[in-house]
Amino acid sequence: MAKFFIDDRAVEVKEGTTILRAAEEVGIPIPHFCYHPAFAPEGSCRMCLVEIEGLPKLELACSTVVREGMKVHTKSPRVIEARQAVLEFLLAEHPLDCPICDKAGECKLQDYFEAYGLFESQFKEVKERRDKKVPISKNLILDRERCILCTRCVRFLDEITATRDAGVLHRGIHSEIGIYESEFIDNNYAGNLAELCPVGAITDTDFRFKTRTWFLEKKASICPLCSRGCNILIDWLPGFPRIPTTQRVFRIRARENPDVNKFWICDFGRYGYRYLDEDRQEKILLKKGGKDTELSWEKARLYLVEKIKSLLFMKKRSRLAVILHTWLTNEELFLAHKIFRQGLGLENIYIVDPPAGKGDGFLLTEERTPNSRGAREIGFSAVPLDLESLATTTDILLLFGSFLESRFSLADIQRAFDRIRTKVLLTPHKSGLDGLVDIVIPTLLVAEKEGSLTNVAGRVQTFTPALDNGGGLPEWKILLELAKELRVNYKYFWQLDSPLAVRREMAREIPFFK
Amino acid sequence: MEEKILTKDFGVKNLFEIEVYLKQGGYKAVEKALTRMKPAEILEEVKKANLRGRGGAGFPAGVKWGFVPQNVGRPKYLCVNADEGEPGTFKDRYIMTHNPHLLIEGIIITSYCVGIHQAFIYIRGEYEAIAQRLERGIGEAGKKGYLGSNILGSGFDLDIVVHRGAGAYICGEETALLESLEGKRGHPRLKPPFPASVGLFQCPTVINNVETLANVPFIILHGAEWFVSRGLPKDGGTRIFGVSGMVKKPGIYELPLGTSLKRIIFDLAGGMKDGKKLKAVIPGGMSAPLLKADEIDIPMDFDSLVQVGSMLGSAAVIVIDEETPILEVLRSVAKFYSHESCGQCTPCRIGTSWVYKIVQRIARGQGEKDDIDTIIRLAENIKGKTLCPMGDAAALPILSICRKFRDELEACLAG
Repeated sequence: MAKFFIDDRAVEVKEGTTILRAAEEVGIPIPHFCYHPAFAPEGSCRMCLVEIEGLPKLELACSTVVREGMKVHTKSPRVIEARQAVLEFLLAEHPLDCPICDKAGECKLQDYFEAYGLFESQFKEVKERRDKKVPISKNLILDRERCILCTRCVRFLDEITATRDAGVLHRGIHSEIGIYESEFIDNNYAGNLAELCPVGAITDTDFRFKTRTWFLEKKASICPLCSRGCNILIDWLPGFPRIPTTQRVFRIRARENPDVNKFWICDFGRYGYRYLDEDRQEKILLKKGGKDTELSWEKARLYLVEKIKSLLFMKKRSRLAVILHTWLTNEELFLAHKIFRQGLGLENIYIVDPPAGKGDGFLLTEERTPNSRGAREIGFSAVPLDLESLATTTDILLLFGSFLESRFSLADIQRAFDRIRTKVLLTPHKSGLDGLVDIVIPTLLVAEKEGSLTNVAGRVQTFTPALDNGGGLPEWKILLELAKELRVNYKYFWQLDSPLAVRREMAREIPFFK
Repeated sequence: MEEKILTKDFGVKNLFEIEVYLKQGGYKAVEKALTRMKPAEILEEVKKANLRGRGGAGFPAGVKWGFVPQNVGRPKYLCVNADEGEPGTFKDRYIMTHNPHLLIEGIIITSYCVGIHQAFIYIRGEYEAIAQRLERGIGEAGKKGYLGSNILGSGFDLDIVVHRGAGAYICGEETALLESLEGKRGHPRLKPPFPASVGLFQCPTVINNVETLANVPFIILHGAEWFVSRGLPKDGGTRIFGVSGMVKKPGIYELPLGTSLKRIIFDLAGGMKDGKKLKAVIPGGMSAPLLKADEIDIPMDFDSLVQVGSMLGSAAVIVIDEETPILEVLRSVAKFYSHESCGQCTPCRIGTSWVYKIVQRIARGQGEKDDIDTIIRLAENIKGKTLCPMGDAAALPILSICRKFRDELEACLAG
């Protein structure tokens, strides 16, 4: 450990810590552009210069290692002057694009000018003119006038994706970022570049010109599109009174987690957010006699409970089948296991997930669901589903999720469903299955729920709702209420009233979840 | 008449041919060093000789060599800085053109001292003919057994490679030189770590200027005391001053350290040309702050020049006459640094260009009354805040011009 002084505060840090990191640890922000914790210090932006007693020149906080007894000042007049100097230089050749630049509101240049600048421009010359709309990947556009040459993008493509797509061309004031001509950046992590760029030089066409960052709420969640469980931020628009919004979710960003996804998310997860808003089930519908009747949850629950109870009364419980999926949370799968497998002793419990894809060797896994590991740890095993045998052995089918459609043709599904008396569909999305079932109950997505997921490495990650629910119900609530109404081990279930309570039970019963 | 060391034999015809060089007593220093001296002895001698770097920074060569860690399990390298980019400097080309074997001897002895088996001469691309002459000399030396394996039966191996630069002043900065030699963009590195411990290909590396290494054979042959006596106690040996500008006899002059600048210009270089009057002198290459006509009565050595706010640098004396508008001098300086900025760090990349834009505007007749203050403010904002010394190299001369010739510059402003 090394003890040093920063702004007259005594601080102890691990040996080898840089001044910038040490300052961060104690809540003293030191402005910087080119530094990023994922890379080795670069030292080129010069924004992080600080004063160290006993040294004649200002030194970089990002690369200077703390030494015992060092006295650092981050707010001395010389430091303030140096920060203004760097800001003035950057802004001198920076275009006045704020009104049309997507980065406004989350731009480091803006933030630092507000915190350390606030001076009048004294630049009377003609600014450098450069290309402003250089496509560098399918989704990304480079604006060379805005670029401050921090080289974060170059270093990301060198060190993280190792695809070495970008570089700095030319020299001096004519330096610019470039890619090999006609060799677009084409990997599954390009989207991180728009987040990484401290200014609006790299913008994402997926987000470009759609909204302003200050209209968006940002909430933490877990990406459910594969089993990595990357930590994300969902940027969504709460909306304006009397003005209908075209979409709710505008953007997914990475959330730092050193143990899972570090600072990054893949493009598959970043751009695959339309499922949150598109084709959502809106109402509980009873489909009878060619007519759709909207039901309240109480009525729907009653309908379900009556149907299942009559099957139990007739000692035909084996003819109740359940199809689950692994987008369900740990708590939901645990409840399903407790109710259907242990409680009711059902045999025909299946898991139908969307088909696997290709892993990319970094974050994206082959499994395209978030909780396959969780299902295994809870006790579910992969039982192949045969539609024929399902049709002949089932009177009541509880179908969670619409993934059946990605595994079988609708025609085959319909043929099987025609032979099942009652089909209940509990899903967040509209699909071709809607017309084949008797009752549709809208459920919620991970982003709208509370619970936990187990990622491919066995890490259990908890999350709370990031988005308002659109009128659907979380599966854990549905299962709990069914359990209570069906009197399946009532004493056990009556005291469970939240995913947190369920998680406590899980920790008690399954060593993995302790 | 001062005794010449480095340029003593420059008049000998075909000195660059090894047979001629040998006849003049060449390679005796190598023989002495490799067969009768130990590396530690050589290091001591060079340290005692107070041989300071002749590239511009003036760092003591012996001390630098002493920083190289031995036994690190990685090869060590020597890079000869023959980039000679500092405007006004042309001494190294004379050494390499007329006496390449002197440099080769210096390289061999230095490498032997530090335990280096691979040396590179990084020569500016514009010196193509000189590069070929060096390569020829290296070939000759190899054939005679002064390079290659087991030189003179000492068990010491050494190879020298000549590498051409591609036209960037910044590649004369030692860490940018390393980057360029590694095949990358010539971007200076953060220091620490210093090249002596982490240099070429992350291995310990010594980087020395051509003239610095050219002095080493003489230190070996005649000893440190002799070398010191040829200069000043803290600054041994001679310097090759390169005089250019409005003098009757521009050219190189090898003189002891401490020679008066006034004497160099008015006596040795023949005084002002065409009866012109002296206006200003840049004493040590364009990166050195300039001196006014009444400030030139000083000895040319490291400390004396630092005391008057300038530097000895590369000992390139540029003489400016009264009829040269100081605005033109400022424009030359600003244009050069703006053009040569590598672009890596914010203050130099944008600051040098901004200053140049202002000067151009003044030259167009559109200067405004606060422009000189702005230039001074920008130069102060570059000074001390850049990644490499080129920021200071740009800022200090600009500041000296604006401060010492402010009236003349203000007169160029429109309003």
